[in-house]
Amino acid sequence: MTVAIVLLALFGSAWLLAVIEGWMVTGRLSPAAPLFSGLAHLGRESILPRSPDRVFFEAAPVLLLVVAVLGMAVLPLAPDLIIADLGTGALFINAALAYVLVAVIMAGWGPDGAYAMIGGWRFLGQLIAYSMLIVMPITAVAMRAESLLNTAIVGSQAVLWNIVYQPLGFVLFFIAAMALAFRAPFDLPTAEGELGGGVDAEYTGVRLAVLRLARLTLVVTLASATTVFYLGGWHGPLLPPWAWSLIKTLAVAVSMLLVGRYLPRIREADLMRWCWILGIPLALLNIIIVGLLILVVP
Amino acid sequence: MTIVLIVALVTGAILFGIGVYGALSQTNLVMIMMGVELMLAGAMVNLVAFWRFLHPEAYSGQMFVLVVMTVMALEMAVGFGVAITRFRAKGSVEMEEAEDLKG
Amino acid sequence: MYAQAFFVTVFGLAAIGFGVVVFRTSSMVRSALALLFSQTAVGCMFLAMQTEFLGVLQIMMMATEMSIMAIFMVMFMMDPGGLGGMDMSHQKRFSIGAGGSAAVVAIAVALLSNWGPAAEQVVDAEAQTRALGMELLGRSMMIFETAGITILTAMIAATAVAIPVQNLASKDDKEASE
Repeated sequence: MTVAIVLLALFGSAWLLAVIEGWMVTGRLSPAAPLFSGLAHLGRESILPRSPDRVFFEAAPVLLLVVAVLGMAVLPLAPDLIIADLGTGALFINAALAYVLVAVIMAGWGPDGAYAMIGGWRFLGQLIAYSMLIVMPITAVAMRAESLLNTAIVGSQAVLWNIVYQPLGFVLFFIAAMALAFRAPFDLPTAEGELGGGVDAEYTGVRLAVLRLARLTLVVTLASATTVFYLGGWHGPLLPPWAWSLIKTLAVAVSMLLVGRYLPRIREADLMRWCWILGIPLALLNIIIVGLLILVVP
Repeated sequence: MTIVLIVALVTGAILFGIGVYGALSQTNLVMIMMGVELMLAGAMVNLVAFWRFLHPEAYSGQMFVLVVMTVMALEMAVGFGVAITRFRAKGSVEMEEAEDLKG
Repeated sequence: MYAQAFFVTVFGLAAIGFGVVVFRTSSMVRSALALLFSQTAVGCMFLAMQTEFLGVLQIMMMATEMSIMAIFMVMFMMDPGGLGGMDMSHQKRFSIGAGGSAAVVAIAVALLSNWGPAAEQVVDAEAQTRALGMELLGRSMMIFETAGITILTAMIAATAVAIPVQNLASKDDKEASE
């Protein structure tokens, strides 16, 4: 039952996100457009590149989707609305998100195309840039909650949300989440202008439908993670807990889309340099500040 | 009762065996490192099995696994450092061409 | 109990299977990712043996480690796509003998030893994580710190080895002559 509700919330949010994205791009609000477009993909020809690595080519979109769903499985929508409240939940989400990289590499190597391969390896090249900024802020969050249970992490924010308690961590995590979901302006592996679609380029038909669904789902999962770690999860007045979780998740996801719409794509060398020179020291500073706050403020 | 322990130990032993085969038979430095990683993985399976089934109260067992994971990461870092230098100097990391490293 | 035996066996077989693929395939990226999934299966074995923290950590660390390995394979191998079908191994018979005998000896020890009674229960994941943290920052702190220092040393050593040698003398000569 819980599984069904969480999955419904996940894919429902992904659908809403697709509708909103279409609205932002075309200016028309058409709730059925994502479904029709998905169905159309099912009907289209699934072109296979000339000499693909079949295993990777087929597995990559599915792996990306599985990763997104697995990440969602440890995030609570409400105090008891969680698929698996693992004792190491905050670490598990890191582990799940690490496989986004594997899926992108597989999607890049699989089709045996130059642009796709550059896209895949480029995502690996940016590894330090985003993975460190995912792991280190989560460390600070877990320090405040004194637990790796995601429900305990939300519980620790009952009075004061983490976005106020550790704003630095929130900013870093938000940026890194966008980079990990490879949304614009961090869409380096799929950059339309330079790589002609990159890892997306060789996928058509059913596989493209799965890949697009996986990417939307990944955005929802990361937005939900931001909600759980920084925006107080289900806490909020009047409305029931699950409603607050969904509202916050959607707000974060839409703000990710908005940021991407109005910023130019970042060069990979710049992203790497800023993450090394600014991001990682700031993340360490965030851990130190939170540690001091925990020690000083009772 | 200890059937799970035996299964885990046998798995660890076979992983170790595959790792030994790989480390000895491959000619490429990176492939040799993969063999070493497999050997370490086999060792880790054994350590976790011993912790779980023989001494679940001694957390230094889990500690040891953490140290082995560190060793895996270090082995990769230093190995790739050596590989980069070697590739820069000689244009390949084939071990059969590394005879000049003999004293 | 039976469920545990089942899952440990399944993930163990997966780990062995992917481990064999590592040295059987000629595509280098496949080889690296097979190693990744072998390590992931090992992590799942940890999970099946109720060692949650280590299992999740293993699954997380290996994803990045083996991806990095994949790109190094592509950089340094002569035939990364495996389309040429090159043979990249030597002293095969000796290696099979060594690997096989190592495995057989270890299996014999595992089967013939008297391991004594097995522990029935372990504490749940949350308590385990807490106890491991207490161990790390208590009794075993020195060892853990040593690991940290070793990582630092290895980072410096690897960087020092990897940066290109700059021929300072010839550079000075060039500048002097200009």
